[in-house]
Amino acid sequence: MVRKYKPFLFLLPSLVFLILFTYFPISYSLFYSFHEYNMYTRKPIFCGLKNYINMLHDSIFWQVVFNNVIYGVFTIFPTMFMALFLAILIDEVSKFKTFYQMGIFYPTIIPMTAAAMVWMFMYDPSLGIINKFLGLLHLPQPGWLGDSKTSLLSLIIMAIWKNLGYYMLLYLAGLQLIPRELYEAADIEGANWFRKHYHVTFPLVSPTTLFVFIVSIIQSFKVFTQVYLMTQGGPGYSSSVLVFYIYENAFRYWDIGMASALTSVMILVLLFLVLLVFGVFGKRVTYSLI
Amino acid sequence: MRKFFILLSLLLVVLVIGKVINLKFFYPVGVAGPLARVIDKMVEEFNKTHPNIKVEPVYCGNYDQTMQKVQTAVLSGNPPDVAVIEISELYTLINMDAIIPLDEYIEKEGGEEFLKQYYEAFLGNSYAKGKIWAIPFQRSTIVFYWNKDLFRKHAKELEAVGLDPNRAPRTWYELVKYAQILTEREGDEVLVHGLILPGGWNDWIFEAFVYQNGSYLISRDAKKANYNSLEALEVLQLWHELTNVYKVNPPLRPWNTTPVDFAAGKAAMMYYSTGGLPLILKTANFEVGVSFLPMHVQYGTPVGGGNFFIFKNIPKEHQDAAWEFIKWMTSPYWAAYWSIQSGYVCVNKKGYEEEIMKEHLKKYPQYLVARDQLKFAYPKIMAPEFQRIRKIMVTNLDAVMLGQKTPKEAVETMQREIQAILDRYK
Repeated sequence: MVRKYKPFLFLLPSLVFLILFTYFPISYSLFYSFHEYNMYTRKPIFCGLKNYINMLHDSIFWQVVFNNVIYGVFTIFPTMFMALFLAILIDEVSKFKTFYQMGIFYPTIIPMTAAAMVWMFMYDPSLGIINKFLGLLHLPQPGWLGDSKTSLLSLIIMAIWKNLGYYMLLYLAGLQLIPRELYEAADIEGANWFRKHYHVTFPLVSPTTLFVFIVSIIQSFKVFTQVYLMTQGGPGYSSSVLVFYIYENAFRYWDIGMASALTSVMILVLLFLVLLVFGVFGKRVTYSLI
Repeated sequence: MRKFFILLSLLLVVLVIGKVINLKFFYPVGVAGPLARVIDKMVEEFNKTHPNIKVEPVYCGNYDQTMQKVQTAVLSGNPPDVAVIEISELYTLINMDAIIPLDEYIEKEGGEEFLKQYYEAFLGNSYAKGKIWAIPFQRSTIVFYWNKDLFRKHAKELEAVGLDPNRAPRTWYELVKYAQILTEREGDEVLVHGLILPGGWNDWIFEAFVYQNGSYLISRDAKKANYNSLEALEVLQLWHELTNVYKVNPPLRPWNTTPVDFAAGKAAMMYYSTGGLPLILKTANFEVGVSFLPMHVQYGTPVGGGNFFIFKNIPKEHQDAAWEFIKWMTSPYWAAYWSIQSGYVCVNKKGYEEEIMKEHLKKYPQYLVARDQLKFAYPKIMAPEFQRIRKIMVTNLDAVMLGQKTPKEAVETMQREIQAILDRYK
């Protein structure tokens, strides 16, 4: 009798943690999203879809969503292509391979808090190293974190710097699986460097690309630490992203109802995006050639 | 044998802990400078001289971050015992039912006599609903910093228009003129700004200018918002001109790097908390002048800083111990020590008679400016949901500084949104 249920008993500890720390909070959050629960009401009061309706009418919400989309597009695609490009270059180089790998990977190891502090000083409009360098070249010196036109861009640049190494290593690993004979065949056909990699490499690292794509979409939604430390979403809401906006509503204004509604929307959007990516690209991925 | 000793030491620990009252003390650092170390030292002294109380200081970031931590702690049922919180949050704390009134404790110490040792200007933000809720600790006013060396450098140009290079501007009109002359440019690029009106707490500085123009932003009872007054509009118009027309003020220097810029000689004049004094005096290699804020209709500045609050829903002996802690930290000697180390005004009048203070003032008379400005000081605006109100103010002020909104649009938006919040609590 017990034999039949043994596998489930092994799963039980993980299940307990999953329920306690994932499923239960998510459902509780969904529950709160249908209530008005803020500093004024002090106790949750049922209000149906009111939070969701207010959200749709909130221009700040749409700005935050827009910021998230821009942030996503300009971190995911540049990072992906640069990571693959660098991986190909490193794969082809014969000397100092480890040095190059470490050089590009080390930002990933640095804790985000430390990286944020360093970049904050670098971005300082009058004393920071970036503007000093631009000044030497007689280029315009933007306000970076203090200017609403460049605050999001500042975060994007820093994020690309931080995550590039991780994806590059993933691509390097993926490149090892491509049989050398295919490259030799391409050389015989007279393909130049670009055509070689476009027709051989790119399709054959597609499993890695799919993984990198999904992971970086999720990462772009999880941005919090650098926003909290570097701009606090400002100036205004120019660099505020969804997770930070949720934090503000929850812990700065203590509007738990609205924060929960925002969270539910975020989870739904993420779910939709991941399914979309799997659906559209999942079939085009070429697996195992061995 | 070993087990026995472990059990014995555990028992001793339990017995000792049973006798010692542990207080969790949340505190912010609102200005640039290593003030957390000063707090640690003062708390260590208190713990040494009070063997039955052990205060555990918890640094919580700046004023906003500390308020967020306090809110989270209180609303999740795990409040600190005592905390220093920004003075404008009083109504929010009362609405959350987080703090206790201090009337009883003050009565026991002698009532009015006890309160007389603190400056009245600082007590203004302690009263609500007919009770007193807070004791001043790290209190400030905005003060006007000026680089005496840079003023002397431009003496000829200043005298040519009838301005004195040996004193700070006294009025808004003079402020604009001084700033224009003191700004050094190379082509289109500004090398030295005439003036910095920092971001981050520009809502506080906005309040100052509005007082100088003879008006107010939120009524004392937190019921009426007054942002769309002509006076407020004039202030914002002046700010817009300084930043976007005369270009003597950089748009939105961060609060924490503004004193660094000033001390490095990148700006000739600056509005900042008196709490920036120690850092500036230490790092500037020029003569630092400190004056009252320039007037318009009148001199004026809101007070600022953080007060001590004791929390509800903690054991009575913790509240009693917290009261002892507060009394000690604001006693003449320690209030004077804190003022010297931090640049904040010494909240205890007798502190200015302490030897360490007198010695210090001989070297750095600039420390007296904020205290002397108290006669022109007003209580800072307080309202429920102040975090939200502050965010609305900062967002709109920032938009004007960056040239994205006209002053008229900004004051209209602030008036509409802030009055809506205040109306909820009528």
